[in-house]
Formats: sequence, structure tokens, C-alpha cells
Amino acid sequence: MIGKTRLNFRSVYELRYAVTRLNQQPRETSSDKAIVAEHLCKVFNVTKGTVRRKKTQVVAVKDVSFEVEYGELFGLVGPNGAGKTTTIKMLTTMLIPTSGRATVLGYDVQKNVTKVRERIGIVLGGERGLYTRVNALDNLRYFADLYGVSVDVRDKRIKELLQFMGLWERARDRVETYSKGMKQRLHLARGLINDPQLVFMDEPTIGLDPEIAKETRRMIRELVEKGKTVLLTTHYMFEADELCKRVAIIRNGEIVALDTPSGLKKYVMDTSVVEIEGFGITEKEVGRFKEVPEVLAVSADLSENKQVLKIQTPKGSEIISEVQEILKNSRIYDLKIKEPTLEDAYLRLVEGSVK
Amino acid sequence: MMPQILRVIYSAFRLAMLHWIADPQWVIPNVIAPFVFTFVALTLFKEASGPFGLYAVLGGGMMGMWGNTLYSSGFAIEFEKWQGTLEEVVAAPSNLLHVIAGRSISNALFGLSNMVAILLIASLVFRVPLGIANPILFALSMVLTLLSVSALGLIFASSFVLTRSAQVLTNGLEFPIYVVSGSMFPIALLPFWVHPASYILGPTWGIEAIRTAADQTNASLSLWQYVGVTDAFLTFWLNVGVMLLITLGYVALAAFLFKKVETKSRRDGTLVQA
Repeated sequence: MIGKTRLNFRSVYELRYAVTRLNQQPRETSSDKAIVAEHLCKVFNVTKGTVRRKKTQVVAVKDVSFEVEYGELFGLVGPNGAGKTTTIKMLTTMLIPTSGRATVLGYDVQKNVTKVRERIGIVLGGERGLYTRVNALDNLRYFADLYGVSVDVRDKRIKELLQFMGLWERARDRVETYSKGMKQRLHLARGLINDPQLVFMDEPTIGLDPEIAKETRRMIRELVEKGKTVLLTTHYMFEADELCKRVAIIRNGEIVALDTPSGLKKYVMDTSVVEIEGFGITEKEVGRFKEVPEVLAVSADLSENKQVLKIQTPKGSEIISEVQEILKNSRIYDLKIKEPTLEDAYLRLVEGSVK
Repeated sequence: MMPQILRVIYSAFRLAMLHWIADPQWVIPNVIAPFVFTFVALTLFKEASGPFGLYAVLGGGMMGMWGNTLYSSGFAIEFEKWQGTLEEVVAAPSNLLHVIAGRSISNALFGLSNMVAILLIASLVFRVPLGIANPILFALSMVLTLLSVSALGLIFASSFVLTRSAQVLTNGLEFPIYVVSGSMFPIALLPFWVHPASYILGPTWGIEAIRTAADQTNASLSLWQYVGVTDAFLTFWLNVGVMLLITLGYVALAAFLFKKVETKSRRDGTLVQA
């Protein structure tokens, strides 16, 4: 007998979730991949207004699928609001996906929450995320206890980590007296307190000065050399280029490209980058470049005294006359024709003009 | 070896204590405020006879203990948000309830220090004859009441997992619960319709036990006289027993609520920023 079934799905995402669940038998621990994300989707319900409250839905992650090998340093890059952090939070069990599924170290992130948490480390960027009124030893001891690190292992590991991070001499000083770089190294130590197989790093070099960021990147590389798997999100393309074996570019909650850094650069092999250094360049002029049919992508840093404008075009030097025409009211210090970098590939991919 | 749950509770307790010590502001709620409160209460009760001096002193102490716990238990989640550590704590394999429980106990302990400060100030500065009949049972009932207050605080803490406007809830409930639990005035003085609310509060029974340990004549004023129990010792243990049962109920309810609200907040993204 077939009974009546009333389907009352709130959105297409929940419907997709239900279908995914029906199609997939629950899997347990066996997986040869460190991370498997299949059609992950996250929709938030947002209430707007004070008197007339209106509920709307915000799609943070639309459809994200990728796999990460054991021992790989995998990069997830994308502009603000693209869905990088939401994806990481679903993989680290901090958020429940609206639909899709994911396994981390062979464990389902929805069914085996504790098993996943025990085996992963999380390093978030920025100065926050530490108890600044207490010292580094007490910070690490606390998290070691939360992760159930046995007491005999705990103190030895804390010492090793602080030595590795170059913080042992200042271990008994309050964290509030630490520099940005020291705090970031303490973040890394905290993320490794449970000796995780897999470390999630969400923009670990954000806000750091170049020297400290370089030091942080060196430490990340060392972790991978020690056999850890790392999933890294970053805004900096050179960082992804330097560190990652493979990079996924995420835009509007979807992965638009996934390849090795050199593979991604091939997306823009047909173009040249016209790099202009100047002064007095306005947003309006940048907008005019975007209207030129041969221009595939434009990026501009207009904040500094020396402004930098990068134009991707298949026309190369042929576009110079148009550049001079558009920038006739600005000062041009330098103009170079360059080979495209990973950042240029990223720009074209996030602007959606890769054909 | 300490079981993992106790280890997490102890570690959260220890970290909260370290924060308290690192922050010299604790002098204000734990020394200056009790001093002022004791002075005001004793001035008000100056002409009263009987155990009212003790009532004033214990009431002040309970107010400090309850206020500290309720405010701080709820605030524990906000504290983690301010520090930016909530995501790291949530992402750890430990149960968030155990972390908050450790913090809640440390806060209640600071409340207890408030009570001790009041007792000392009343006795040494204002020369109030406290005459505690059974100091051991008095101390025991105080510690158990502390745990009961902490457990009640945990229930309120779960609301903070969902919304930051829960602060309004705790601010609004601090004084009503203080009055309904009979902290300063015996419940008998409260309207009859308030009594059911009083009796479902663990601290109500704890305060009764504390008073009975301090002043054995209190037994003849308690609820147990209606079932023929007037013996101070038996009254004390009956009060403690009921309090412990209610406290266990609070812990079970808090565990249930934490599980529910944690799942909901992981689904809605209210606990961590995405």
C-alpha cells in the first residue's frame, strides 16, 4: 500500500539534500582521500526588518565538490563572501550542510562529529582566538584538555610545539604582550595541539607583515613535509602559488576551477597583462577599461600613492593607444607587458570571463 | 586518571579562575559591593529581633552568589565570542556543556567568596552575632547550594547559545529568582501563589538547609513541619536531598537543551560566524 506523502521542502536545496541522502548509502571510515566534499550547499535563513520582519534565504555555498589527497596542501581561494569560510566550517563540523555530504579522514562530517573533531586541527587567521589575559602555556594546556590529549603527552607536546614555533622563551608571558606574529605562531601551535592528521587553515597570514607571513608560510610547508594534510584558504594568490599542490577557485558559492597552479595559469595563456603604474587614476577610468571589448579582466589598486592597474587582454601591446586615451588625465609612471600569473588567472576566473 | 568530562570541567574552571585573577576588577563585586550591601541590610534590620541579622547576611551572600553565577554562566558564551575563541572551543571534541559547567562553577565559587566576605564583614566590622549552630553542615550546604546555583545557571547559558539578547532574560530574572527562592525573606512571607515557583528552584531548598545549619530553630519554620518533621538534623538532610534531586534535573535539562540548541545553531550558523 502506498500511503500519502506530503512533501514540504522549504527550498530546492533541501530537496537536493533529500535526493542526495536517498542516493547515497552511509559510508563509514574507509576512504583513501583526506577530504571528500560532494555537492556541499549551505543556505542561511536571514530575517530582515524590525517591525515588518521578512525572512529571506542567503545561499553561502551553492555547490562545492572536491577531493583532497592525504599529505596534500590544498588551496581554496576566492573573493570575500565567495563561500570559503562556510565551506571550511562545514568540513570542520561547525556548520551542518543544507545539502550534500562530506567526509573528512574517512568520517562523515554530519554523523561522526566527534571523530572528525578529534582528528583535525583548525587555525583561523587574525589576532583573536586566543585567551590574551593568560600565557601561552595555559592557552595550550586548556585546548589540550578539550582535545583529550593525555596528561603525560600534553606537557611534552606543548614544550615541543612552543619550541618549534620559537615561543618557548616567552611561554610564561601573557599573550596580550605578544606581537601579531607571535600570536599567529601560537595559533598554529594551538591548531596542532592534538597532533592532527589534517589541518584547516583559514587565511592564516591575513594582516601579517610580509616577513612574518613568510615565516608562517615556511612553517606551513614544514607541516606538510612532516606528513600533515593542509587545507588552506587565502586571499593571496602568490601564497597559493608558492604553497599549494592544487588550488580550487570558488566564486559565488561554486568552484569555478580546480587545478595545479601551473594548470590554472593555462587558463590565461592566450593573454598578456598590461601593468600600469600611475597616479590620479579614478574608478571611472577603471570602469571604462572594463567596457573595452578586448579587455578580459581589470584589477586596480588605487589606494596607494603609486597606483597599479592590471589589464588582461589578448591584444598585448596593441592596446597601448587605448590605454593612453583613457588615462589622458592621469599620470603614467611605467607601463609593462607581462606574462600572466596565477593572480591573473584568478582574476579572470572570478570575473567569469574565461572561455 | 581523571575522566575526560571532569578534566574538561576542571580545565574550564581553572582557565576562568586564571582570568579572574588576571583581572583586578574582581575586587569591586567581591569586596566593595558586599561591604556596602551588608551595611545597608544591617541598617535596615537593625531594630528587628530574632535571626534577622543572619537572614540579612545570608541573603546578601546568596544575592552575590546567584547574581555572579547567573550573569557569568550566560556571559560565558559571550566571553568566548569577545575573545574570538568560541569557534575553537566549539570545534573541539569536548561537549560545550562541560566547558560552560566549569566556568559556571568558577563563577559560583566567586559568588561564594562574596558570601564569605559578607559573613566576615558582618562579623568582624559590624559585630553581628552570627552564632552558626553547625559550621560543618553550614559549609557543606553552602557548597551544595553553589552547585545547584551553577546547574540553574547552565539552563540559562543554553539560551545564550541561540541569541545574544538572552542577556535581557538573565538581567530580568536575576532579582525575581532571588526573591522567589527566599534568599532574603522566608518563603512564608511571600504570597501563596508564588510558592510553587519557589519549590521548583533548587537554591530555595539550599537556602533552607543553610539556614537550618546556621540556626536550628529555623526547622520549625520550614515546609517539613507540615509533614511532622521538626527535627533540625532531619530537616537539613531533607532539604539537601530535595535540592540535589532538583539539581540533577537541572543538569539533565541543561544537557538536553545544549544538545538541541547546539544542533540548531550549527544548522542556522548562530553560534559561529560563517
